[in-house]
Amino acid sequence: MTFSATPEAGPVNPQATTPAEAASRPLVQIDGLTMYFPITSGILVSRHVGDVRAVDGVSLSIRKGETVGLVGESGCGKSTVGRTILRLYRPTAGRIVFDGQDITRVEGSSLRAVRRRMQMIFQDPYASLNPRMTAAGIISEPLEIHGVSSGRERRDRVRDLLATVGLDPDYGDRYPHEFSGGQRQRIGVARALALHPDLIVADEPISALDVSIQAQIINLLEHLQDEFGLTYLFIAHDLSVVRHISDRIAVMYLGKIVEVTGSRDLYERPLHPYSVALLSAVPIPDPAVEIRRRRIILTGDVPSPSNPPSGCRFHTRCWLRERLGNPERCVEEEPVLREMATGHQVACHFAEEVDGTVEQVQVTGRPGKGAPAGSAGGGVPAGAETVAGGAAASTATSPAGTSQAR
Amino acid sequence: MALLSVRDLIVRFRTHDGTVHAVNGVSFDLDEGETLGLVGESGCGKSVTNLAVMRLLPAPAGRIEGGQVLFEGEDLIGLDEAEMRELRGKEIAMIFQDPMTSLNPVLTIEEQMVETIKAHKKVTKKEARARAVELLTMVGMSEPDRRLRDFPHQFSGGMRQRVMIAMALALQPKLLIADEPTTALDVTIQAQVLELLSRLTSEHKTAVILITHDLGVVAGLTRRINVMYAGFVVESATTAELFAGPAHPYTVGLLHSMPRLDAQPGEPLIPIEGTPPDLRHAPVGCPFAPRCAWRVESCWHEMPPLEPVRETAEVQTTGPHATHRSACWNRPTAEEAIAGRPLRVDFVPAPEPVEVSR
Repeated sequence: MTFSATPEAGPVNPQATTPAEAASRPLVQIDGLTMYFPITSGILVSRHVGDVRAVDGVSLSIRKGETVGLVGESGCGKSTVGRTILRLYRPTAGRIVFDGQDITRVEGSSLRAVRRRMQMIFQDPYASLNPRMTAAGIISEPLEIHGVSSGRERRDRVRDLLATVGLDPDYGDRYPHEFSGGQRQRIGVARALALHPDLIVADEPISALDVSIQAQIINLLEHLQDEFGLTYLFIAHDLSVVRHISDRIAVMYLGKIVEVTGSRDLYERPLHPYSVALLSAVPIPDPAVEIRRRRIILTGDVPSPSNPPSGCRFHTRCWLRERLGNPERCVEEEPVLREMATGHQVACHFAEEVDGTVEQVQVTGRPGKGAPAGSAGGGVPAGAETVAGGAAASTATSPAGTSQAR
Repeated sequence: MALLSVRDLIVRFRTHDGTVHAVNGVSFDLDEGETLGLVGESGCGKSVTNLAVMRLLPAPAGRIEGGQVLFEGEDLIGLDEAEMRELRGKEIAMIFQDPMTSLNPVLTIEEQMVETIKAHKKVTKKEARARAVELLTMVGMSEPDRRLRDFPHQFSGGMRQRVMIAMALALQPKLLIADEPTTALDVTIQAQVLELLSRLTSEHKTAVILITHDLGVVAGLTRRINVMYAGFVVESATTAELFAGPAHPYTVGLLHSMPRLDAQPGEPLIPIEGTPPDLRHAPVGCPFAPRCAWRVESCWHEMPPLEPVRETAEVQTTGPHATHRSACWNRPTAEEAIAGRPLRVDFVPAPEPVEVSR
């Protein structure tokens, strides 16, 4: 794939890149990205009284053609990361590099040139489509804004796009209210595809849809990625969906990334106490599995991002810290992301202690033998205990399960 | 005798766009202390069924047009508003998805809780307040004495839902209806609330109807499940049996269309094609037929009855040995339920007949 289509690319790259370099470098690289939203008070004179630290020093890279999932609970800053990458916000600090070009401070026409290559799919297909525009009007708006094609050519492109996302091309002259939720989301996807973007930031694209429709949109997104070589940043709170679609996952808590790893690894060997708790809280639709799992019930609520706890931001709710006798280090020193295994980074002073704990093993709800390499210690006794019950149950269980199906 | 027995309930809404056929003959029973999950997507009638039980349908549009709701043998549909008010809260309590809209924003929690308790019990204000403190402690609220004086907006979402649970259990009702109680909450907070719900209801032997679209939530929390689609109960079974051997194409479809946390990576999802039906049309045949991979000719003409999946001498509608029933003319086999699609050689879903096109 070449990107010669953007000759007007504004700022000059300091170093000319060879094609080989271009292929190996990440499409998006963010370093120490920080986004504070000011809190002001006063009616006539507004005074700056504090900041909501939505994103605080996040570093992440997204390779071409890859899907990176960003998970966390509401208010953890995951949407802000996505929006800041698209430069819908002006970051407080840090650097955003898109395809070799620093876009942290780009403005005006050169920002628009970059924006053409990155698009967004929104959560609410009811709110993100203009009710007074037809589907064709909505989809052709990006083409219009960027002056791409016109007349018949543009109409053909819109029909193509409608067909690509699985809608009847003749539906172009209908209005959003004439479509169902799933169909509306398809229009949102078509609009995002209109300019042949490289990166699509999908912010909770399925959480407003009915359960039976969600899979249609997930499959569509996967199919489009294969067809057009798209790169996705997939933002969602639902870990099972994120795990399904992502190659790598970053877990966020209160504006920080606490763990980054391959999506398979995150489930089989989570190393941050928060990731373990988050995984354990996701219910699995299978009573035979559920009975073997044990939930970690985190106490209290997520603290306010305008006044985050000192040191490790998770220390106020951490189950591991309690177990270790509340070490002071968690309160005093902020943990940095460190490499625990190839491509597996964790921001916890005591990540080694997580490995092999009963909590980590029980997240999977699988009897011991199912746990593959990596989760050695600790798994054995827990597994041995449940083997009998597990085996008996598994003969009769899980149509959606895996082992018998293949 | 069952605690609650809903018989052939029919609910319709008269709107400007025509009559909405929200509930089309739903029957189910619930024993004392039993937990029942009601699963289905938006518009399947699961919430309307329970609003009808509580007699809280929005008037004048929503109307119960047939059937019975027997609570401890008494038909609630015949009661007048004063008698119903006596029952609500005291015998049957309900908690809703969004606690912010079900709490009064201009009254403190104390005023609301004391009012609820005093409406049904002859106690002094002081006694009612003491009971409120006790209830908040029970749902794990720290400093309940001080927090009673707070307004709803001063609580987080999870805390508000705890307040709702405390209020719902204040009068020790026999039946608690929880309508999507955790849908608006984050997953770690959902875990807290679900644990609290299951602990308190089993302690007090409260029967629970849990309404949700999330099969994961009911898997861990209920003993029995009814799956609803377009105003019909299409499958009814104990939780273990439903997940082990779903016998309705819609249930099979639901299980295959959601990614599971413990699935093998790369396993494809099998979506349910099409969209839920428009309930403004009177149902003809099985409402799931247009989206069903197993449909046969008769599915287009006649709604199948809810019948036992296996031959049985006596149909049990409640309890741990409730009969597994499904409303389907062409049930998926066990292998097909695992595969998520029909496996029979040369099977083609019956095409839509021209004359009954909707």
